[in-house]
Amino acid sequence: MRGYITKRLLIAVVTLLGMSMVIFVLMRITPGNIADIMFESAGYVDQADKQKIERELGIDQPIPVQYANWLGELTRGYLGKSYRYERPAWDIIKPRLPVTLELACLAMTFSMILGIPFGVISAIRQDRPIDYVLRVVSLAGLSMPSFWLGMIVILLLVRSLGWIPSVTYVSPVDDLRANLAQFLFPALAVGYRSSALIMRITRSAMLEVLREDYIRTAWAKGQRETSVVWRHALKNASLPVITLLGIEFAFLIGGLVVTETVFNLPGVARYLVEAIQGRDYPVVQNLVMFIAIIVVMANLSVDLLYAWVDPRIKYGKA
Amino acid sequence: MPLRRFVRLIPVALLLVVALSLPAPAQAPKSGGVLRIHPLSAPPSLSPHEESTIAVVQQASPCFSNLAYYDPAKRQESVDTIIPELAEKWSWQDNYRNLVFLLRKDVKWHDGKPFTSKDVKYTFDMVRGAPDAEARLKVNPRKLWYENVEHIEAPDPYTVVFRLKKPQPSLLPMLASGYAPVYPEHVPLAEFKNKCIGTGPYKLKENRPGEFVEYVRNPDYFVKGRPYLDGIKWVIIKDRSTQLAALQAGQLDVAGSGWNKANAETAKKGKPQLVLIENDSNVNDNVLVNFKKAPFTDIRVRRAFNLALDRKSYLVGPRQGGAVFGGALLPKPAGVWGLPVADVQKLPGMGDSVKQKAEAKKLLAEAGFGPASPLKITVSTRALAIYVDTASWMVDQLRQVGIDATLEQIETGVWHPKMTRLEYQVALNLTGVGIDDPDAQLFENYRCGSQRNFSGYCSEEIDRLMTEQSQTLDKAKRLKLVNEIDRKLQADGARPVLGWGKQYAVSWPYVKNYPQHDNSIYNVSRLQDVWLDK
Repeated sequence: MRGYITKRLLIAVVTLLGMSMVIFVLMRITPGNIADIMFESAGYVDQADKQKIERELGIDQPIPVQYANWLGELTRGYLGKSYRYERPAWDIIKPRLPVTLELACLAMTFSMILGIPFGVISAIRQDRPIDYVLRVVSLAGLSMPSFWLGMIVILLLVRSLGWIPSVTYVSPVDDLRANLAQFLFPALAVGYRSSALIMRITRSAMLEVLREDYIRTAWAKGQRETSVVWRHALKNASLPVITLLGIEFAFLIGGLVVTETVFNLPGVARYLVEAIQGRDYPVVQNLVMFIAIIVVMANLSVDLLYAWVDPRIKYGKA
Repeated sequence: MPLRRFVRLIPVALLLVVALSLPAPAQAPKSGGVLRIHPLSAPPSLSPHEESTIAVVQQASPCFSNLAYYDPAKRQESVDTIIPELAEKWSWQDNYRNLVFLLRKDVKWHDGKPFTSKDVKYTFDMVRGAPDAEARLKVNPRKLWYENVEHIEAPDPYTVVFRLKKPQPSLLPMLASGYAPVYPEHVPLAEFKNKCIGTGPYKLKENRPGEFVEYVRNPDYFVKGRPYLDGIKWVIIKDRSTQLAALQAGQLDVAGSGWNKANAETAKKGKPQLVLIENDSNVNDNVLVNFKKAPFTDIRVRRAFNLALDRKSYLVGPRQGGAVFGGALLPKPAGVWGLPVADVQKLPGMGDSVKQKAEAKKLLAEAGFGPASPLKITVSTRALAIYVDTASWMVDQLRQVGIDATLEQIETGVWHPKMTRLEYQVALNLTGVGIDDPDAQLFENYRCGSQRNFSGYCSEEIDRLMTEQSQTLDKAKRLKLVNEIDRKLQADGARPVLGWGKQYAVSWPYVKNYPQHDNSIYNVSRLQDVWLDK
């Protein structure tokens, strides 16, 4: 197992290196740079002044040199300075991480709480009214973009209650209740979509497992429904669900941009888009690398969970 | 009723009538509370001298003071509504060639250091790019405003003299703009990217980029009894529907920055007790026609373009009734320098749509374009909704006269560089002017070689007239000259103005004294007189 993890971590390093090159080059071949943006906001362009700024920021150098400089800084633990705010990039990124992580974790929790039981119920009551209702609910969840749902939720709240979640971020350390009230609706809006996906995967995996011989044997032995369904069937049906959970979590970290915008949450995803528009290279590079690390770690965790869920899976052996 | 009794009642009735006709006694302002408001967008910095967006002026103004400022209570800004701020008084000398300011002696910077004339000299030497300036701005968008300043002197700690190369009455209005605050000499310029040390009514409490800018009352503010508020919180909300919901849910006290008429009316419809204020503004929708590229070197083609764009359809279409018509300067009654109404009615595009389109087709045919060989053009615009709406309408109007027009959306980051390099054929642009003043508007946008003269228009005659009006001291004569310039610019199709958009502010009724000016959105954000009746 240790050998497997080491091998996967080494592959992860190579993957991240490749990612870093792609994002670095893509950002630099996009028309316009930070100096353009600065002059854009001022509404005029003085070529001499612009070149001076490009020199100061080091963006006049060849791309390989800029890339090597950035990697060098990364190895020293320095994430560079935000061009836009002239602050260390880490100072800009740090307060945004907990916001996105909290939203993603809450959304995942909701999606699991709703998606797995509904998927199981739908499978064991196949083609009965409850199955049809749950399938419609899940189809609706897949059809409605979470940002649209978020907007509708906000409009409904303001119309019916004259209240919406706080538009300025409330830290859980300062006021846990207010924080949860702020995150509840965006997490539900995002979680509903994910739960629909999880429900459908759970349902189809369960339907497959429920037809297996060992399940029939368990029924024949007179085991209780809860034991058959939740202990035997669900455990064996959970491999595709775990895979999906890993993918969904990784997706949520970078994919919450519109939800964060609609609910005015100062998260990573929303800021990433602003940083891309502002060509704030250090912030974009480091945020994308952070998301890439989450994706790699989520994939690794999923693979390790496989072994725990299914003892037949052994890593590190031929 | 006996006559005597009736006569005795007359004085009582008269007294009653007089009492009822008297204005209600003004409510005494209350102190306290924090004003929550959303700006147009997140500020790229808190340094107005380095930026050209209203977002920065809005959010930095509560921190700073000017030498002089426009009176928040007077809706129409003019040279007559300029009131002292850091300067106690000023006087023009030597026939408008020297402007002398006598400064207040009781002003402290937010860090406790005293304010002196050195700070004024430091600031305006830096902005005008003086060779011996102590600091240099990385980006200096309003250097042009001060190019007539020859020298700035600070003979003693409380006197400043601006010496001009030529008379220029517009210098004072420029110094009163939200774009002309005084910076402290002792604070490095780079700090204004994220912080703010000023002399204004509010001190910066916290600036979280992209989230909010929060101020608290400055207890040492030099205007006694001000500000009324304990603080201001500019909450950055990107999504317009969230801004609307936040206002209706009471999480904002004032909203409306960047809203159109429909947004403001929707907010009011949801909460009828909200107060909606509509104002004119000095931001216009204009058409950039590239003077350096054929076929726009041909005046017939430029004229055809101008005629094809039916202004009345623009008003009801993209602007939804929220605009007024005018030339290069904001029209009357909101504007001071705009063309008279009779002239505006005669501008190209203002007449009968059918006749004008027919004339446009005729002009195009004379220039060699017709159904067999249609003029193919790309209409460029910035990829922002407020631009794209009008540009799409423009494409439709041009197609109606047989021009094969297509829309090109340009990302914000490369918009101005492309315009400056004249890398477009025709473009739809929005131009905001810091102050309603001919010098600020004309030199920047129409003078030969100006960096913001995005159409490449150049006329020696106009340049000469611009300089002449700038030095004209008699206001009536100057207005006549400015109107003459405006008429010529419109006839040349220099930068056809479609209209001047209106602005909207929607607030809860307890917000009092929230300033709104009819001819500028840039000079109203000090907010020292605002109070909350809670």
